[in-house]
Amino acid sequence: MASETKLSHTAAMILQAIDAGFVYGFGVMEMTGLPSGTVYPALRRLERDELIRSQWERQSIADAEQRPARKYYKLTVAGRATLDASRRRYPLLERLIPTEEAKSL
Amino acid sequence: MKPLADWVFRVFQRGFLGGISLLVPAGQRAEWRREWQAELWHVRRACTSVAGISWDAEREVTAFCLGAFQDAFYLRLGSRKKGVRLAQIHGSAWHCLFWLAAVLTASYTVANISAGVSAERHPERYRVKSNLILIQDAHDTSDWAATIPVERYRAWKRLHQQYFDDFAFYRIQQETLSTGGNGGVVRSVGHVSVNLFALLGLQVESGNLGDTAGGAELRLILSHKGWERDFGRNPHLIGSIIRVGEHQVRVVGIAPDGAWRLPGEADAWILEPDTAIARGAAGYVVAHMTPSARSEMWNGRVRITVYDADGSDEDFWGISFAERTQGPWGIYLFTVMLSFLALPALTSVSIADYGFSSHKPSWTRNVIRWAFLSGKIIFLLAITYFLPLDVAYFSSTAYSPGASGVHFIFSFFICLLGFRWVVLDQRQRCPVCLRKVTHPARVGSASRTFLAWNGTELMCTGGHTLLHVPGLPTSWFGAPRWVYLDPSWEFLFTGSSVG
Repeated sequence: MASETKLSHTAAMILQAIDAGFVYGFGVMEMTGLPSGTVYPALRRLERDELIRSQWERQSIADAEQRPARKYYKLTVAGRATLDASRRRYPLLERLIPTEEAKSL
Repeated sequence: MKPLADWVFRVFQRGFLGGISLLVPAGQRAEWRREWQAELWHVRRACTSVAGISWDAEREVTAFCLGAFQDAFYLRLGSRKKGVRLAQIHGSAWHCLFWLAAVLTASYTVANISAGVSAERHPERYRVKSNLILIQDAHDTSDWAATIPVERYRAWKRLHQQYFDDFAFYRIQQETLSTGGNGGVVRSVGHVSVNLFALLGLQVESGNLGDTAGGAELRLILSHKGWERDFGRNPHLIGSIIRVGEHQVRVVGIAPDGAWRLPGEADAWILEPDTAIARGAAGYVVAHMTPSARSEMWNGRVRITVYDADGSDEDFWGISFAERTQGPWGIYLFTVMLSFLALPALTSVSIADYGFSSHKPSWTRNVIRWAFLSGKIIFLLAITYFLPLDVAYFSSTAYSPGASGVHFIFSFFICLLGFRWVVLDQRQRCPVCLRKVTHPARVGSASRTFLAWNGTELMCTGGHTLLHVPGLPTSWFGAPRWVYLDPSWEFLFTGSSVG
């Protein structure tokens, strides 16, 4: 996926939320305020376009905490490049969802 | 309250997700359900309270579950786009049947909206009694011409006849028809003997031919077209008196659309007693044959010799109405049979000589293949019935020999070329997936015909077969040959297989 890929503001927000550490669907929903019917199909599209990749949490960790295992999402290299391009396109994105590095500054 | 309500909501929400998961393609369903169930667990923990039931919280969780529908729908839609590619549709059996169905639907629709086709397709409106013939002078070479003087008709009717038990006479002439306040219009008016419609057995709408109420006026039957065009479908016209030429006539009925199939088109018919028919006028004579005369008919005709009192004789032809009143089925069945017989002159009708190399397709594949061939033939036969009728009667509202000829010619050619296409198309379809083979490639050279082979190789895009068509048929390679591709070829066709 080329770094010039243009995302919609919603998709860019989701990408930014994942980058900010909200790595599962419900977390992205809480952070962005988007409904589940928007977030999950968007995650599928981003994964299809290889901007994010998903990974199941280890079952042993989930068992230790007595909860079901979750599916986590992570930015790919192409996804990070696309997010950088989206930040230039939507300058307020970082202010809406600040990343950990931005928070620490 | 809390544990029971919580349990009910949890079961409902999990059941809802389980039901929606059926929308997700089977390959992704288990993982999709696992993710949503896990997320639901976390959503419930975040939203609901341990202390008691909260309807707002439950509504929020249910709203979260509703989003699963969009997610599942997205995955379903994505799988369809991925699964059905244009290349797979193009040239497939369904694609072929779809187009045949589209042509059939279009021709059927046109047949239903065209007045001429509609009239032609309802033979009950124009079917006349059997054993009727039209008598015509044998010296007149033009078919269906008015050749019989009224005096001769009167003489035939007066004398006892061995071969005929009833006669009727009619002639057509242009006359002014009064249509009400706007004056009159010049129309073709038939002057017919009183018994003509009864002899033909034609039913007349909204009228009683025996009705003589109202006095001594002549009776008039209007054509359906004339009733529509000149009287605006006036429902109160029956029984009223109008003027036609020099006559005051009473309208006694409307002939159904397309009912009149005899020579000479008319917009109205005046029923006249034989004595009222003008002298010297030539017209048509319709005669009803006795059984003994019927046996003399050959090929729809019978030769009639009339001996006059002075010893001279005169020849006439008696021509059957069958050709004019048999409806489109006669032409249709005849042309289908004719084209079926003519097909071998255009192409080999054999489909079975296409050897399938060493591989034999399963019997289910064979059944599907033959069912597809049968489907194409059925569609073709239906199209052959409607399409030529549309062409022949699109601009004509009633039967005419010209339209009948056009119907015959179109029916024959559509059927013949259609049969040829069906056979050729079937030969070029992969016996496994019924898709058309494509991408022709020249193989070998003519100089190597006796050492190897040369010709054209076509490929099934599903990766099932190759079709080898010899460039120069030889005794060992005369007919095209199917070559089955085993599963080791599949990697070349990944994503396009439908078999």
